[in-house]
Amino acid sequence: MKPTTRKRLFRGVLYAIFVIAVAVVVLLADWEAIRTSFFDLEVAAEAFPEIITIAAKNTILYTAIAFVGGMIGGLILALMKLSPVGPYRWLATAYIELFRGLPALLVIFGFAFAVPIAFQWRPPGGSAGAGLIALILVASAYIAETIRAGIEAVPKGQVEAARSLGMRPSWTMVSVVLPQAFRIITPPLTNELVILIKDTSLLFIAGMALGDRELTTFARDLTSSQANPTPLVLAALMYLVITLPLTQLVAKLERHNKRGR
Amino acid sequence: MAVGTLALTACGGGTESGEGGEAAGGSELNLVSPGTLTVCSDIPYEPFEYEENGEYVGFDMDLMREIATGLDLEFTVQDVGFDGLQSGAVLAAGQCDVGASAVTITPEREENLTFADPYYDSLQSLLVPADSDVATLEDLAGESVGVQQGTTGEQYARDNVPADTEVVAFPSDAELYAALQAGNVAAILQDLPVNLNHTQEGEYTIAAEFETDEQYGFAFPKEGSEALVEAVNSQLGELRDSGTYDEIYNTYFEEQ
Repeated sequence: MKPTTRKRLFRGVLYAIFVIAVAVVVLLADWEAIRTSFFDLEVAAEAFPEIITIAAKNTILYTAIAFVGGMIGGLILALMKLSPVGPYRWLATAYIELFRGLPALLVIFGFAFAVPIAFQWRPPGGSAGAGLIALILVASAYIAETIRAGIEAVPKGQVEAARSLGMRPSWTMVSVVLPQAFRIITPPLTNELVILIKDTSLLFIAGMALGDRELTTFARDLTSSQANPTPLVLAALMYLVITLPLTQLVAKLERHNKRGR
Repeated sequence: MAVGTLALTACGGGTESGEGGEAAGGSELNLVSPGTLTVCSDIPYEPFEYEENGEYVGFDMDLMREIATGLDLEFTVQDVGFDGLQSGAVLAAGQCDVGASAVTITPEREENLTFADPYYDSLQSLLVPADSDVATLEDLAGESVGVQQGTTGEQYARDNVPADTEVVAFPSDAELYAALQAGNVAAILQDLPVNLNHTQEGEYTIAAEFETDEQYGFAFPKEGSEALVEAVNSQLGELRDSGTYDEIYNTYFEEQ
């Protein structure tokens, strides 16, 4: 058999597997049952407009708060981790290991319930506030490692050049190193953001008032009041409506950055 | 979809380890896995379902275990979320034969589920710290009250608390109780037996009980469960006649 023939045959087999898989799914699925369980239009109509005005709005709001907080915390932690002063480095390392090693759900639970019991102090903003503080702490740990990797990826020569021009170390960091670092870490930061969008669904464990609900909690509520899982499908679609444009935007930004070099 | 093919291959074997080689009713009951009664439940929800010494016990679990024994079936339990259970999704997906999870029978739920005969009359109740002066729902004005998401208790609270009371929904009793301890909510409104569990230490008391005409039922999928519902109903009748039902009832609901 000629190599080209073998290649063609191999391709054909791959296509065949794909077609068979699609056919199996289409033939074996009980479309009527799927429609009544997951695409009940009457139930779906019940979800509007609140699924946008309350649920999607809160998901975006919570994500924004957690991401901005996480960026600030992460930057501070990354600089601490690269600090020449020992205790700063140890503290940052301990923090990052702790909050990266714990499930976000447990951290949220801890801030909502354990902290008030232990310190007689209730985080501001009720359950959602406690949950958001927890999310910020978790996001900071992840983002810190990303930023540190970015800073270390900036060529040494950049710092040396800046210093030889007489720039102070702090100014070198702010005006030379960090801008390049952030350009390098745009993709992993996008990843963090998308993960955060989905992690806001964990806030439900802290308890939610009606106006505080994000997409997942809202959909679960409606699923129970309507006794039909259609709202969960709606929520899934809403998440995609939020994440897909975002990832497209970042892809565009990256192409722009590449050209800019 | 893979389940369908698996079931086809599994039926060929025919090696059920039924007592004395006869799996009574294994075939005509249309079970998820032949010879076994697969029960779905949102665990823990004391005293209806919880884990003790490595096995699931509680009012629902003990009844179900007796029913399975009576039908000459093995008994297994799967822990699932309440949302999926009461919306019918879990049962329609063929994950279990029956949902036993302190499910109140409501018209909405009956659209997607078939219920066996009611097996328990439910009361709602308000749990407050022992030193609280909340005695009625009206006293909750300006305060917050915790409820369990997707339950009839949540509906009752939303329908009956003063306008300026904040109703906060939690996923399960574990978070509810933690929130009350943390002082995040002033009271918990949920099923009486569950609240009763939290009064044993003396730190919390039942401030009020509410008659709601609610009854619990075991839930079955709408499609193809007729024979099993009938069998479970006749078992429930037998348990009531033989006094076993009362025995189990007193185990869990006698005043402490």
